[in-house]
Amino acid sequence: MNFCKKNILIRYKVSVLLFKMSLNRPLSPHLSIHKKVLTAVFSIFHRFTGICLSLGGILLSVWIILIALGPSFYSKFQTLSSLIFFKIFLFLWTLTIFYHLYNGIRYLFWSYGKMMDLSTVYKSGYVVIILSILSTMLVWISI
Amino acid sequence: MKNYASKWIMQRLTAVILIPLTFWFVYQCVILSSYEYDQIRTFFFSKINASLFFVLIMSMLYHAKLGNDTIVEDYVTSHNLKIITKLIISTLTYTSMILTTISLFYIISS
Repeated sequence: MNFCKKNILIRYKVSVLLFKMSLNRPLSPHLSIHKKVLTAVFSIFHRFTGICLSLGGILLSVWIILIALGPSFYSKFQTLSSLIFFKIFLFLWTLTIFYHLYNGIRYLFWSYGKMMDLSTVYKSGYVVIILSILSTMLVWISI
Repeated sequence: MKNYASKWIMQRLTAVILIPLTFWFVYQCVILSSYEYDQIRTFFFSKINASLFFVLIMSMLYHAKLGNDTIVEDYVTSHNLKIITKLIISTLTYTSMILTTISLFYIISS
């Protein structure tokens, strides 16, 4: 009788544990457990740059709000933008924009099932890096 | 299911819209970087510039919202945290959209 009770208790505890585990199940891209291959690194960076750029989008709307508010508010932005820290930030922003843009074009081709064989995937990945560095350099030389 | 499909299509559509507009805006920023306040304001007086900027920032914010929602759905395990994060994302997106629209109209009409 005692043994039977214990058995039921264990079964109950296991089912509670399984239920709790099902609530806290890890989701699709298991970042920490897989070996980092180039395509995965590109995908992670695409998402990371995407998060950074969405903060950039909010900053862009703050910029347009400051322009609308008038010169006294905009001068605050100008004192900030004259700092060297802000220039470095803008440089990284440019690099991020171009990386996300070119890699996004690559993903658009993938959405149509084009350029998906392994050698093209790797080659276009290197093209993305080279193009984004070249475009960033072009922008900062012309400024 | 239908909802996710339309989100997927909207993400691609906004991406395609953003490709030429990003090149245009980066090019304009190179020019604008040497401008003073009044010159930047006159840049937005042009109807073409103002409407292109409007389309750019609207599709950018919407594209960002869709992307961030996808990231949250993929990586945030806790149900409550997921709802809170999504709420923050949509609040920031829609606030930015509304304030940008008001500011642009204010600049054009002034």
